[in-house]
Amino acid sequence: MKPIRDDHNWRGWRVIGWRGWRLALVIAALTTGLLIASPMHAQSGSGGVAWAIKYDPKTFDPAKVDDQASELVRYLTGGVLLRINRHTQEVEPSLASSWTIAPDGRTLVFHLRAGLRFSDGSALTSADAAWSIRRVLAPATAAPVAEEFLTPGGVTVETPDPLTVIVHLPRRVVSIGRVFDEIAIEPQNRASEGRVTAGPYVVAEYERGQFVRLERNPHYWKHDPGGAQLPYLPSIRLDIVANPEQEQVRFVRGQYQFLGGISPEYFDLLARTQPQSAHDLGPSLNTEQLWFNQAAAAPLPAYEKQWFASTAFRVAISEAIHRQDLARLAYSGHATPAYGFISPANKVWFDAHLDVPREDVAAANVALAKAGFYRSGATLYDASGHAVRFSILTNAGNAAREKMATLIQQDLAAIGITVTVVTLDFPALIDRLMHTENYEACILGLANVDPDPDSMMNLWLSSSPNHQWNPSEKTPATPWEAAIDAAMQAQASATGMEGRRQAVDRVQQIVATEQPFIYLVYPNALYAVSPALAGVDLTVLAPGPVWNIESLRWQKGKR
Amino acid sequence: MRSLGGALLVLGRVALLVALVAMGTLALVRFAPGYFADAREMDAQHAEGARAALAARRASEGSVAALAGSVAAGWLHGELGVSRQYDVPVWELIRPRLRVTFSLLTRALGFAWLAAAALAVPLSGLGGRRGAAAVTLGSAMLLSVPIGALATLFLLTGMGGPVLAVGLVLAARDFKFLYSLLRREWRTPHLLYARAQGVGSVRLVLGYLLPALAPQLLALLLMSLVAALSLAVPAEVIFDVPGLGQLAWSAAINRDAPVLLAVSLLMAAAVGLMGACSRPAIRSSSGSAADLEAA
Amino acid sequence: MRRTALVLLLALLAAAVLAALRPGSSYAAQDREQSWAPASRTHPAGTDALGRDRLTRVAVAALLGLAGAASAAAGATGIAAGVGVLAAFGPKILAGPLLLVCDSFLALPWLFLLMMVRAGLPLQTAPLVSAAATFLILALLGWPACARAVHAGASAMRRADWMIQGRAAGLRATQLMGRHLLPRMLPLLIPQLLISVPVFLIAEANLGTLGLGVAEPLPSWGSMLLELDNSALLASSHWVYLPVALLIAFLVLLELCVTEA
Repeated sequence: MKPIRDDHNWRGWRVIGWRGWRLALVIAALTTGLLIASPMHAQSGSGGVAWAIKYDPKTFDPAKVDDQASELVRYLTGGVLLRINRHTQEVEPSLASSWTIAPDGRTLVFHLRAGLRFSDGSALTSADAAWSIRRVLAPATAAPVAEEFLTPGGVTVETPDPLTVIVHLPRRVVSIGRVFDEIAIEPQNRASEGRVTAGPYVVAEYERGQFVRLERNPHYWKHDPGGAQLPYLPSIRLDIVANPEQEQVRFVRGQYQFLGGISPEYFDLLARTQPQSAHDLGPSLNTEQLWFNQAAAAPLPAYEKQWFASTAFRVAISEAIHRQDLARLAYSGHATPAYGFISPANKVWFDAHLDVPREDVAAANVALAKAGFYRSGATLYDASGHAVRFSILTNAGNAAREKMATLIQQDLAAIGITVTVVTLDFPALIDRLMHTENYEACILGLANVDPDPDSMMNLWLSSSPNHQWNPSEKTPATPWEAAIDAAMQAQASATGMEGRRQAVDRVQQIVATEQPFIYLVYPNALYAVSPALAGVDLTVLAPGPVWNIESLRWQKGKR
Repeated sequence: MRSLGGALLVLGRVALLVALVAMGTLALVRFAPGYFADAREMDAQHAEGARAALAARRASEGSVAALAGSVAAGWLHGELGVSRQYDVPVWELIRPRLRVTFSLLTRALGFAWLAAAALAVPLSGLGGRRGAAAVTLGSAMLLSVPIGALATLFLLTGMGGPVLAVGLVLAARDFKFLYSLLRREWRTPHLLYARAQGVGSVRLVLGYLLPALAPQLLALLLMSLVAALSLAVPAEVIFDVPGLGQLAWSAAINRDAPVLLAVSLLMAAAVGLMGACSRPAIRSSSGSAADLEAA
Repeated sequence: MRRTALVLLLALLAAAVLAALRPGSSYAAQDREQSWAPASRTHPAGTDALGRDRLTRVAVAALLGLAGAASAAAGATGIAAGVGVLAAFGPKILAGPLLLVCDSFLALPWLFLLMMVRAGLPLQTAPLVSAAATFLILALLGWPACARAVHAGASAMRRADWMIQGRAAGLRATQLMGRHLLPRMLPLLIPQLLISVPVFLIAEANLGTLGLGVAEPLPSWGSMLLELDNSALLASSHWVYLPVALLIAFLVLLELCVTEA
């Protein structure tokens, strides 16, 4: 029997008949009905601004702030005695109208402004300030800021009158003033978790996973030169948006007024389509660096440990890397080649006269030859005949870092070294870096929020668990690490700026000579700000364009 | 009596599945690298606090037995534990998100099946090569484009959302299976006979095709559900939908064992119940032509 | 139709091989002055961000991805078919545990197993070995959902006329399976195979976040597909659509080849 051949298309359609068509229409209607779009995020209140943060703030309690999102909320809501001017890096009085520090650096006197109020109208006096400071210092609170006092248990606070606060420190702490930028003053005995504040805004609403809404503090102490109450903007909404594309589309549509952490490619697109919104502020404080595992207990073969411990090897690697290409290709030009841990954006501490190993492949080859390495064909071998090959770890999800790893892979192939690039998720990476020490080389970035080198103590002290290339050393493994320890202690105890600067310059030079961290680039600070806002004063220091949030307002006619 | 016994058997099986999945999840999460790691360890300023917290965790959750013990104790007290990321009870996190994800999945599955059926039924019966080729191209496009790219497309054009994205991808999958199954079934002798007799197409589909393919369709529904559950995770993350998928992803990234356990168990219960529903259908059907003629 | 599709498919593969092997081309060589360059004689499809020739990279990625994803898809579908048929036709006592294993596979968070695999592999694993390991694991983890459907289909056929007739006629189990059962399971297995190919390609790229997958400098087809979610990249060049266009073409041709007339 012949197989039945199917009908031609057109005749087949008629087979369905009217009933079939009606059914099809019903189905079409149903399917459209099912596609009701998910509700949009709540619109911002009239006149307010909004932008996105990547994840929920872990806490609204200003004493327990330990992550960036919580820190932002604290910055926007917490009233502090002293504020660091993000432009000049100087400490300025805020709730305190003036402050003095004794010559021995162990007594601080703050004079509060008169007539200060909290957002609920209650008076703000020295008792509230003292209570807040004591709460931060108390071990039960486990406030991260307490560590900045070095010996928080010995600090005492006195309040001789309602407008004076005296803080006695058992030990001198260098640049102690900047620590008070992180201590928010809360009503005495009423820890309100951001609902009653002395800063420009107050936490009004929080939907987990969705948004945080801040309302203007009607009793904020600051007024503009004309006497008008600050802040100008009535509300802020921080949407929790993980997808950067979503954030970018909302910015372009005018729903968000700020964009931070923009990828270099998107910045270029924005610069083409909305040039007045895109701002490249030049190098930020952050660094991207490559380092080798020099831990004695690392589960690596002995010959690999020898390579990584050799200064000549590290310097040769540094000389073989083309940093200009990294900046140009991995960051689309929005980065600056880096040779030291202090960025040129850190005007106070940057040392422009460092003697650093610059790009020079010939010099790299010479240095390797001197150290006993030799080339055979396209491969580099060490003195004992092992081919030089290692892996570079980095975290997944950072496109620029992955590109840098690939570029470095080719740069090192030119001097005969085979590199494997491995991208891991962050917890697995931390596990290898901090716990098992099972890695060879790593590329990561360091976000420097505080320009003062004293905040980097834990990075440079050899005994610290964060002494990345060789954590928790009982004694410094090399003379130059001991020299770094000494110089960092010197800057912490130096009495004058000059002494501190000399010590920090010494650390910078040792790091440049020994290359424990091979600095790659300083990523540029890229921001997008709606041109409808006036009063914007962009700066590289966190929190970026909103550091003077109380002075921002809409341009005439925009809202 | 038989149905009561059957119901008990089903419940027992689901309970066994849930227990297996619970043990498996705990073991997997506990031994995966990074369980005792915290991103704050890398931040020199905040590392001390992180380290102290981790040391405490290591002491209490050092071995799987200890971890399982603490989880079991929590369950006996009627709570599902406290989330490691958010420091709130797990049930409080899950309850609102369960509703969101359920709504997303139901709508997406409904759309997918309606669309797939609406296309597969007529096209498979007609032998229309051009129609089938066009839909093949469409389904290939939907399967090749990752859901992130679909999301960006929707964002840039300002239309569509997670339901449409998940629904379209599921429709593309379901269409392939349905088309393939139906193509064969349209050509079985008794259906060809019925068509020749002039039986209406709607009656053919409802009266002949569906009963014959019921067990396979149910199994396909299960596959579709599983695919939907796995698509829900990237869809919710990319579209910022506050559902279980988004929670599961952030729990996986942050090694939040209580939340992961709760989500896995929900998944196991869903899969177990779906599996149980499809088995009676298998038993009762035989796929024989004699049954159809008798109907 | 089938023959044309087969010829086109082979032509596509041959073109990919030619593009990958043409003299002077390399998937890893970075021409750093030519980043994001438009199409030219030396770079017919332009270059990517690091100045690498896009045509060569797409061709190599396609060949690598096809080999990996197609074999993983075939493996997963094969395992699913085997488990499903075994559960349906094997000893009754085996069916329950097999289905239980199947269901638990579906519910467990395998992400963590993959992390453990990566932790177990030496850091200096060659990119090809890491890619092969990834596709192998995908094949071993990707079968449960289909197995259930196969089991349902096979169970339905247990009392089919042809099955009873075949058994009565004395056909051996292998003959029944091979000549009668498997062809009837094809409507279920073929779509599963076709769907698995792009799913595994994208899964391989997603596994890159765990350290598995295809490592640099080898090009990964899945990663090229994932790049499409970046609106800035989409605006930069039309050649970013080449990988997805190639995949769609391949899938359509493959489907036309394997679908019965």
